[in-house]
Amino acid sequence: MSAADANAGGRPSRPAPLPVLKPGGPRSRRAHAARPAPLPSPGVVESAGHSALNIAEVVGGMGLLAGRIFARVFTLRFDGEEFFRNLHRMGVRSAPIVIVTALVTGAITVVQAAPVVERLGAYGLLGWGASFASLREIAPLLTALMINGRVGANNTAELGTMVVTEQLDALRVLAIDPIKFLIAPRFLAMVLTLFLSTLFADALALLGAAYAGYALLGVEPASFYIGLTGGLLGFNDVAVGLFKSVVFGIVMGLASCQFGLAVKGGAPGVGKAVNSTVVATAAGIFVLDFFVAFTFH
Amino acid sequence: MQAREQILKAHEDPEGSGPESVDHELRTVLPERHGVELVGAVALDLLNTGRELYSVFVRTLYYCVNGRTEQGAILAQMYAIGNRSIFFITVSMGFIGMILVRQGGLQLERILPEYSLVGATFLELLVRDFSASIGSLLLATRVGAGIAAEIGSMVVTEQIDALRMCAADPIDYLVKPRFLASIIMTTCLAIWSTGVAYLAGMVTAYVSFDIAPRTFANISLVDSGDLVVGLSKCVAYGAAIPIVASHSGLMTYGGSEGVGWATTRAVINASLAVIILNVTLSTIGFLIFK
Repeated sequence: MSAADANAGGRPSRPAPLPVLKPGGPRSRRAHAARPAPLPSPGVVESAGHSALNIAEVVGGMGLLAGRIFARVFTLRFDGEEFFRNLHRMGVRSAPIVIVTALVTGAITVVQAAPVVERLGAYGLLGWGASFASLREIAPLLTALMINGRVGANNTAELGTMVVTEQLDALRVLAIDPIKFLIAPRFLAMVLTLFLSTLFADALALLGAAYAGYALLGVEPASFYIGLTGGLLGFNDVAVGLFKSVVFGIVMGLASCQFGLAVKGGAPGVGKAVNSTVVATAAGIFVLDFFVAFTFH
Repeated sequence: MQAREQILKAHEDPEGSGPESVDHELRTVLPERHGVELVGAVALDLLNTGRELYSVFVRTLYYCVNGRTEQGAILAQMYAIGNRSIFFITVSMGFIGMILVRQGGLQLERILPEYSLVGATFLELLVRDFSASIGSLLLATRVGAGIAAEIGSMVVTEQIDALRMCAADPIDYLVKPRFLASIIMTTCLAIWSTGVAYLAGMVTAYVSFDIAPRTFANISLVDSGDLVVGLSKCVAYGAAIPIVASHSGLMTYGGSEGVGWATTRAVINASLAVIILNVTLSTIGFLIFK
């Protein structure tokens, strides 16, 4: 229906059409002009700096939290009932996972050492080799990773939910110190859980290794036991493993409490915090594993 | 038993305060399972979880063949799984390489200080087992938690229901790209972490035990059997982690606390799956490729 069509019949033509505006009229043109330009995407240096600042924030937060927790733990000013409740929930409820992991760990150590043992014919040394690897390295590490996955993640999720639903603020309003009431008992429970679970897992890993050696290589459990107690292993090896587990427990406790307390943003925020806890604790475990092994030959 | 009697008593009591007290009783008493009932309940739970995991796995495979393809979905997931994890994996595997070589060397020093095969044995162990397994344990924590958190949040905010209403199967749309991306990226990351751990081990061997890098760099002990076992482990772990994590994510219920639970369950189940697959594949590999 253009102006030309209207003119064909000789009737008076319509006025020339106005210049075409952007859809929506003059107001939207002003709005289009006023909309800010999109931010440029961050470059390499900027995102590296951003990551470094994030890491510094997390580590600094963990340090401050550690100071506050230790102040209450060493003066024994924390809630005993919460401590025992968490010890039951974290320690006793994790026992099945620790059992399965430890037995499997022992079996894995033997399966990995099997080609080397068969190549060198050193069946008598299987007891020593498998148990050395298990006690010093693999049992503390895998137990810490599994318990981190269960206890650390769960703790962050709980603390995060409490933050998101404003229960921590309610505690502060009631003049209850949240660190004394919630955080310090959980931290101590996590450290103690990991220590006891590693002790338990050590024993089970040796059992798993003994029976895997019998099943795969035909090494009698008796000679496995002789290899264990023959004199190449000492209490030192067990002690290093247990010291590692305490260090891992401290890292796990601090990381999970810190990420739980710093949650923002509802359900997706809680999910992200759990993800960050698990990753940060795993990385911290590997790094500290190296430093402890380096310090204690 | 006790609970039921309490509720009945509250109901019959003529001087009771009526409905409120009964509600209170119903809310506070939930019978705890003991003994045989507990064992049976755990076993049934395990069976049900196994069945659901099998269902998710088979449906994912079906949609790999018969599903709709979305442009760039797999690539986006490969970025999220692989590129985002690479810093974490590099740091951790570097430290693991240093620890393993240092501990192994110290023990060798006690028995017979002959260092010529340390590099070769280390590489064989890495290729056969450690880089795939430890790398996948790390990925199980990171990727598993991420997938479960994402899908769990989507369940809680009803986006999964919206997907179903749009006639898109959530497994086709969400799980399939992650499944394929994870298999590819786990293999790539395992190969990368072998290299990183080996280099870190080489540096440690030189610094701590004065083993020349040329002596350390010895690939004579790695044979085709090790390679086959290592690669099959990568594929198995890469397949298991997203299936387990997506299953936990899709079974979320209960708001933000539910998302936390789902993430926890995903990490534990994925780690357990990696460990159990490790034992199975190692034993099979040992028996086949003696």
